[in-house]
Amino acid sequence: MEILKQIRYKPARVAGGYTDRILRVDLGRREINIEKLPTDFKDKYTGGRGYALKAIWDGTTRQTRYDSPENILVMASGPLGNEPGFPGTGKFIVGTISPMTDTFIDSNVGGHFGPLLKLAGFDALAVTGISEKEAVILIDGDARTITIAEAPQYDKETDDGALAFGDRLLKEVNNGQYSDCLAAVSAGRGALHSRYGVIHSLFYDRRRHRIRAKQAGRGGTGTVMRAKGLKSIVVRSSLSKANGNHPVDKKGVRAAGRALKQVINKADPTQLHLSAWGTTVLSEYMDKFHIFPVDNYQYGQSPDSAKLFAHVFLDNYFSKRIPDGCYYGCNLACAKGAENVELTRGPAAGRKVSVDGPEYETVGAVCCMGIFDPQFVMEYNWYCDQYGIDVISTGVTIAFFMECFERGYLSIEDIGYELKFGSIAAAGRCLHQIAGGRGFGRVAGQGVARGKKWVARKYAARHKASPDEVMAELDKFGMEVKGLEFSMYISKESLAQQGGYGFSLKGPQHDEAWLIFIDQVYQELPTLEEKAAALRWFPLIRTWFNATGLCKLHWIDVRNPEAAATDEPSKNLPTLAHYVDYLNATTGSHKSLQDILDDSERLYILQKLINLRQGKGTRESDQIPLRAMAPAFFNEYQSRAEYYDLWLGQNGGVRKLPASPKQRHKLLIERRKRDYQQLCDAVYEKKGFTPEGVPGREIVARFGLLDEKARRLLDETGA
Amino acid sequence: MNENMRVKIEFLGTQRTLAGADSIETPITGKTTVNDALKYVIDKYPQLKLDKDTALVVVNQQLASRDQILKENDIISFVPFISGG
Repeated sequence: MEILKQIRYKPARVAGGYTDRILRVDLGRREINIEKLPTDFKDKYTGGRGYALKAIWDGTTRQTRYDSPENILVMASGPLGNEPGFPGTGKFIVGTISPMTDTFIDSNVGGHFGPLLKLAGFDALAVTGISEKEAVILIDGDARTITIAEAPQYDKETDDGALAFGDRLLKEVNNGQYSDCLAAVSAGRGALHSRYGVIHSLFYDRRRHRIRAKQAGRGGTGTVMRAKGLKSIVVRSSLSKANGNHPVDKKGVRAAGRALKQVINKADPTQLHLSAWGTTVLSEYMDKFHIFPVDNYQYGQSPDSAKLFAHVFLDNYFSKRIPDGCYYGCNLACAKGAENVELTRGPAAGRKVSVDGPEYETVGAVCCMGIFDPQFVMEYNWYCDQYGIDVISTGVTIAFFMECFERGYLSIEDIGYELKFGSIAAAGRCLHQIAGGRGFGRVAGQGVARGKKWVARKYAARHKASPDEVMAELDKFGMEVKGLEFSMYISKESLAQQGGYGFSLKGPQHDEAWLIFIDQVYQELPTLEEKAAALRWFPLIRTWFNATGLCKLHWIDVRNPEAAATDEPSKNLPTLAHYVDYLNATTGSHKSLQDILDDSERLYILQKLINLRQGKGTRESDQIPLRAMAPAFFNEYQSRAEYYDLWLGQNGGVRKLPASPKQRHKLLIERRKRDYQQLCDAVYEKKGFTPEGVPGREIVARFGLLDEKARRLLDETGA
Repeated sequence: MNENMRVKIEFLGTQRTLAGADSIETPITGKTTVNDALKYVIDKYPQLKLDKDTALVVVNQQLASRDQILKENDIISFVPFISGG
C-alpha cells in the first residue's frame, strides 16, 4: 500500500467511558489532526450521536450535500460502548449528511469497530474532504500510527465487494491473520452507484472463525464514504476489552451488568426468544396482526407468509450450535448467521457463502416485493451485503417500481423487463442492475423519492397528463418520508406509529419510536393525549441508546417481569434502572432517568435545528404517504372491508355507514387524514413546538442551543 | 346454547416449537373466560412458561381482558412483548 500521509500519536487512555479526543481526517488535504475536547463537551453533547450532531451543526451549511467535500462522516461509540460486563455494548453510530434526505442521518451498528476506536484513543472519528485516489485509513493504536494509504488493488471481485475487500484488508494489515484486535468498516461498489449504500462493520468472530458483518444500513452512509474516495477504515488495539472503559465504579458496572443479564436469561426464553431465533421471529407476529409489508405495504398478511417464518430459517439455514452476538458479553446474542449457503442465482451462482442474517428487516423487504422464498431471502441478504446496499431501501424501492408497473405507470419499455410483484427473476435483475449502475438500476438506485419524480415525468409526457397530478397519485404509495424509505412495518392501523414514522427526524426508520404493538395490540395508548406523550417520551429514550454506544433490544424486546407492577409497563422502567446505574457507575455521574431524557432532548432539538436548516424540519416534512395511514386504493380496502367498516363505526365516529363500499373507502381516508393532522397538533404542542412543527425559542434556549445560527434560523421560520 | 362449542388456541413463534403443535381446539361452556383458557394452557403446556399474571392474551387479534367470556370459534393466542428494533 502506498502511504499518502502518516502521523505518529500517543493513544489517549479511556477514563470513565471517554477519551475526550476526536480524530479528524481530511482526505482532500491529506491532513490528520487529533482534537482534544474540553472536558465539559461531553456533558452537553452525549457520546456518539451528540458528537456527530455537533460536528455536523458546526461544520456544514444548508448548501452541504452528501458529496460536498465539507460533509463530515462521523463514527463514534459513546461512553457506555465497550463493556463486556454489560450486554449490548458494541454499538457505534455513523452520522453524516445523507444522500437520501439531504439532512442529518445517523445509523447505529454493532460489531467491534466502535469499542476498538475508543481503545485506540478516540471517542469519534470525523472524516472530511474527497481523496484524489481511492483510499483507506488505518488507525493503529498498537503501532501508534494513523495512516491514509492508497487503497490496495487485489482482483476485481475482491475490489468490488464490500465484504470481500474489508475481509482481505483486515488480513493484509495483520500478516495474513484474522484477529479480534482489529475491526474495519467498508463500503462496496453498490455505494458508488446508488444513494443507499451501507457501511459494513466487520469483525472477527472467534467462534465462526471468519469475518462477520453488521451494517449501518439506513440513509446512504456508505454512499457518502465512497463519495469521499474512501473504501475502508481499519482500527487496531490490543488493549484488554475487559474494563476497557476504566469506569469510575467498577463494582457498580458489574452489578448493573449482572442484573440486566439475569433479566435477559430469565425472560427472553419465555418471550420472543431472540437469543435462539434472532429477529426473524418477528415475521410471524407481524403477519398475525396485519403489519407484514406485503406487496409494497398494501396487505399486512399473505397466505404465503409462513414460508418466511423464523422456524424455516432456524431449521434450514441458521447455525444452531454456535452462540452468536455482535460483541462480547451480550447474552441476547440475536445476530444469527448461516454457513455454506449455495447461491443459485445471480453472478455468483454456484458459490457457497456465509450469510450474516437474515434479520427481520431483510425478510420484510423480500415480502415487500411479494416474494416468499426463503432461499431468495438468503441470496438477497448476501448480494446486498456484498454490494454494500441497504436491504430495506433496495426492497422498498424495487417494490415501489413493481407497483408502478402493475398500476400502469411504467411499461416494459421504461424498465426493460416485466417488474412484477412476486417475480424473483425480475427482483434479482433489478438488484444486480442497481449495484452495477446499469440499465433501469440507475433509476432504482436513486430511491423512492427521486424515483417518483422520474415516473411522473415519464408518465405525464406519454399521456399528456399533468405531472403534478401524476405525482399526487404516486405520493399515495411511494413509501418514503423526507427522502428515506420506510422500514418494514405497516402503520395503517396504528395512529401512534404513523407519528413514529412521520415525526422521525431522520425519516421513517423505527428507531425513534416503534409503538405499533403498544398502540394497536396492547391498546395502552387509547387517547390522542397518550399517543402524543408516547411520541415525546420514546424518541428521547430510544435515541439516548444511540448516543451512548448501546444496543436497545435488551430493554425494548425483553420485558422485565417487574414492569407489570408499574404504572406504565410499556416503558419497562425496571430494566431502564439498570442502564441508569450503568451510566453513573461508568462516568461517575449521579443522573436520574429524567436527567438522561434531558440530555437526549438537547440532541433531539439540535437535530431538529439541522433539519430546519436543511429544509426538512417543518410540518410539511412530517407528512406521510396515504398508504401509511389508510388503505390507499380500493383493493386494499376490499381486502379488510369488514374490519374497516367496523373501524368507521367504532373509531371514526360514523353513525350510519354510506351505502356503497367506494363511499365507505373514501370516508375512511378522510377520517384517517383528519386523525393524522390532529396527531400532529397534539405532538407538536407536547414537544413545545409551534403548530408548524418548529421548536419554540424557549426550548432551544433551555438546552443551551440558542446560538447566533439558531437565532437566525428561527427568525426565518417565524418561530 | 350449543353444547359442542369449541375455541381454537394458536401457538405462535417459539410457542409452536415448545407445544409441538400449531394449534389445539378445546371445548368451552357459555361461562368459560379468557382466564380459564389461560389456566388450561398453563397446566397443559408448562414448558411455555406462560406467566398467569403478566401473559397478554389476544382473542381474534384483539387484546382480551381476563374476565372476557369466550364465544364459539374464538381464536386465542398469547403474545409476547414486542417493541421493535
